[in-house]
Amino acid sequence: MGGAKPSSDQSDEATKKLGWATRVKQGGLKSIDLVQNRLNLFYIWEKRWLFVALAVGASMVIYVHPSDLSDAGVAVLAMSVVATILFITEPVPLPTVALLIIVGQVLLLGIDSTDVAKSLMTDSVLFIMGSLMLAVAIVKQRLDKRIAWLIVRLTGTKTSSICFGISLVSGVLASFVGEHTVAAMMLPVGITLITLTSDNPRAVRNLAAVILFSICYGCSVAGIGTPSGGARNAIMIGYWKEFFYDPTNPDTSIYLIDYLNWMMYAYPIFLIQLPLVTMLLLFTFRPEYRDLSRAVVKLRHQVEEQGPMKSADWVAIGIFFTVLLGWITMSQELGMGTVAVAGAAAFLVVGLVRWEDINSGVNWGVILLYAAAISLGIQMKETGAAAWVAQHFLAVVGPVGADDGIGLWAAVSLLTTGVTNTMSNGAAVAVLGPIVLKLAVFAEESPIILGYITAVSSSFAYLTVVGTPACTIVYASGYLKTTDFLKVGWKMVVMSTIVMMIMAIVYWPFLGI
Amino acid sequence: MKGGTPKVTEPKKPKTATDPDVFEKRKNRFRILVCIDGSEESYRALRYASLMGRGDDCDIVLVYVRPIDQGLHSGGLQVRVARQNLLDWGLELPGMKHLKKGLDILMEEGQLEDDWGTETTHTDIAGDPLGDNKIEYFNENGKSIVLKLKTASDPASGILEQYHLGPYQLIIMGASGRSHYGFRSMIDRAVAEKVAVNAPCSVLVARDLKPGYGHLVCTDGSQRSFDTVRKDAEMIVRRFENPMMSVLSVAPDEESRADAEKAANTAADVIRETGIDVLETIVKVGDPVEQIVETGQDYSLIVMSDSGTNRLKRLFLGSVSSKVLEKAKNSVLVIR
Repeated sequence: MGGAKPSSDQSDEATKKLGWATRVKQGGLKSIDLVQNRLNLFYIWEKRWLFVALAVGASMVIYVHPSDLSDAGVAVLAMSVVATILFITEPVPLPTVALLIIVGQVLLLGIDSTDVAKSLMTDSVLFIMGSLMLAVAIVKQRLDKRIAWLIVRLTGTKTSSICFGISLVSGVLASFVGEHTVAAMMLPVGITLITLTSDNPRAVRNLAAVILFSICYGCSVAGIGTPSGGARNAIMIGYWKEFFYDPTNPDTSIYLIDYLNWMMYAYPIFLIQLPLVTMLLLFTFRPEYRDLSRAVVKLRHQVEEQGPMKSADWVAIGIFFTVLLGWITMSQELGMGTVAVAGAAAFLVVGLVRWEDINSGVNWGVILLYAAAISLGIQMKETGAAAWVAQHFLAVVGPVGADDGIGLWAAVSLLTTGVTNTMSNGAAVAVLGPIVLKLAVFAEESPIILGYITAVSSSFAYLTVVGTPACTIVYASGYLKTTDFLKVGWKMVVMSTIVMMIMAIVYWPFLGI
Repeated sequence: MKGGTPKVTEPKKPKTATDPDVFEKRKNRFRILVCIDGSEESYRALRYASLMGRGDDCDIVLVYVRPIDQGLHSGGLQVRVARQNLLDWGLELPGMKHLKKGLDILMEEGQLEDDWGTETTHTDIAGDPLGDNKIEYFNENGKSIVLKLKTASDPASGILEQYHLGPYQLIIMGASGRSHYGFRSMIDRAVAEKVAVNAPCSVLVARDLKPGYGHLVCTDGSQRSFDTVRKDAEMIVRRFENPMMSVLSVAPDEESRADAEKAANTAADVIRETGIDVLETIVKVGDPVEQIVETGQDYSLIVMSDSGTNRLKRLFLGSVSSKVLEKAKNSVLVIR
């Protein structure tokens, strides 16, 4: 465009003052204007990361041909890189990435489309789907007021104990039914407490932060507690089985992690973190009110309006505990996904939730996304791409002493924390899982320990709004700023990492790996 | 606000500028879009808007932009489930409170009477369960006051989208940025600048906006600046009870002082033609941006002409007006 400039050099002062756009036009290039109108620059700018990602992917497929990796491996790697860039920058709606992964597997890897379709549905995906339906059903039972009443009965009216009570109850619930469920249930409780304390939002700025973060961080630290706490746990269990379990070799049955086994490893980590979360929050935000008795009295009135527990409430609680029992006792034979789906079906059969509610409450695109990400993760293993990345990762971290033992654990934890803060934690585990598990093989570490470290670290997404479901839901209330997440989030990351590393070093060896 | 059962509202065709009749009708009215973010500045700006919006030919639209509720980051559970739960508890959407406070202010100022008709409209927005919500108050003469809770990916694009729903003559937004409530200070400086650059109409960026000190219009002697002066006088200043305008012209050096004086006098004549008194005619020598910012402090607001109508140019070139917008300590009105 600059080419038209010299033609008007000799023109007078006034013309010089005009911008280049005018000069170009005066040079007779009115067509530029036409092009500018026709071509939607904004569209290109908005989607720039899509083009960047595709360019990176294409150049990888064309130019990168390492001697120790097959062409299919390069293609899978390229797809993973493109998917990761798209996960983080979101130039297109995220389910589009899932669709692109499916298309890519058929076109780039030449896999039969029926096989690709088959690889999409696994027990982990079924579990994610079932537990999301359960989540909607549980939120719809309107048990939140009962839970709120329970909390304030237990804790009294002191702000610090209410916050701990909220974290504890949110956490325990979230560890079984998933953090998004509990965040959605508890959010109104938190906001009601805040608005009942004061109508002036400025006067309760810090109180609001403490209460709302008690909910979302309580849920976040709990999500790792049991396999049903979050999609990422189910994904990791699926990867262990896919990567290491061999039905002909009885020794490999340790890679079939069941519900209780997971809880033994992870639940104590959650319990230890709970009081620390409350302390960190109170220390960081220092709420304006030390006592919430005014709000609590009003809340109690609201709750009492609801009257005693109805039979429908008991049925809902009954189904919920049956599902829980099913996960604990039967997930090995039936699969966790089957139990979750059966629970959702039970809620529908007894009429406690309408299908329309489930249909509009579950984001089906997320299920598709997880399905495609897991399917890609398995291709990472099949084509040797995961192994290749793992080897190179070890070569890079080797010089700083992080290629085995605790150094490697910390490196994996750090890597996962970094990735999970930029995208949803399930996607982070789906992308990183295959690499980490292969890493364990090459470093001669236990894949189970590194797998747990990845799954647990993926919950350290305290820094951003998009990191964990609970943060996103609580942020939607409009009471928190993104900077609040940074302000307290880094302390949470440090605290959680230290707790996890100590547990990994001190406690896990007792469990016999 | 909508509460109770999560019924899917029939997408009602909103009255937008796509309807040519409405568009033509609205073009002849003086429509002000006031961006409310809950900050004191935005309410000061609203009071100012109310001063110029007394006549029946003037509509005031209050808009609050809230981020889209989306389900992908919430682990597959739609945020709407949480949102519905909040509504069931009797809690409102973020922003509704701010808009209602804005309405109270307009009532105080006598803009709105109790007997006005109301109409509530809901528009579905892709990706958000609750979409846009709008309450319109109108009197028999066709004057209307609208509260609009808008959903958009970010504040600036929300405000600009709102422009395209019905042409406005003026967008007013606060620049202070400290939203005392809730998420990201909704209308921070960057947002104000983004809107000022991209909006197709005049934009008033309010900073500590105090009425009663008159407008300071700046002229560089170009025809465009005189047009600006005329437009400001005819469109905005004459709406105040005691209209006041002053003229500033800045000469880059002593030699061109005479030119600047001439420009200032011409501008003053333009103002007098419209029947408005000229308070002062000031000529300064020095850097235009510095002089305008400094002199402007004594007035309610600084009036600048837009550097060009080409959006691309505005985006890349930077101009005196955008620099003034950035550096000024008080309010700036960019006439377009």
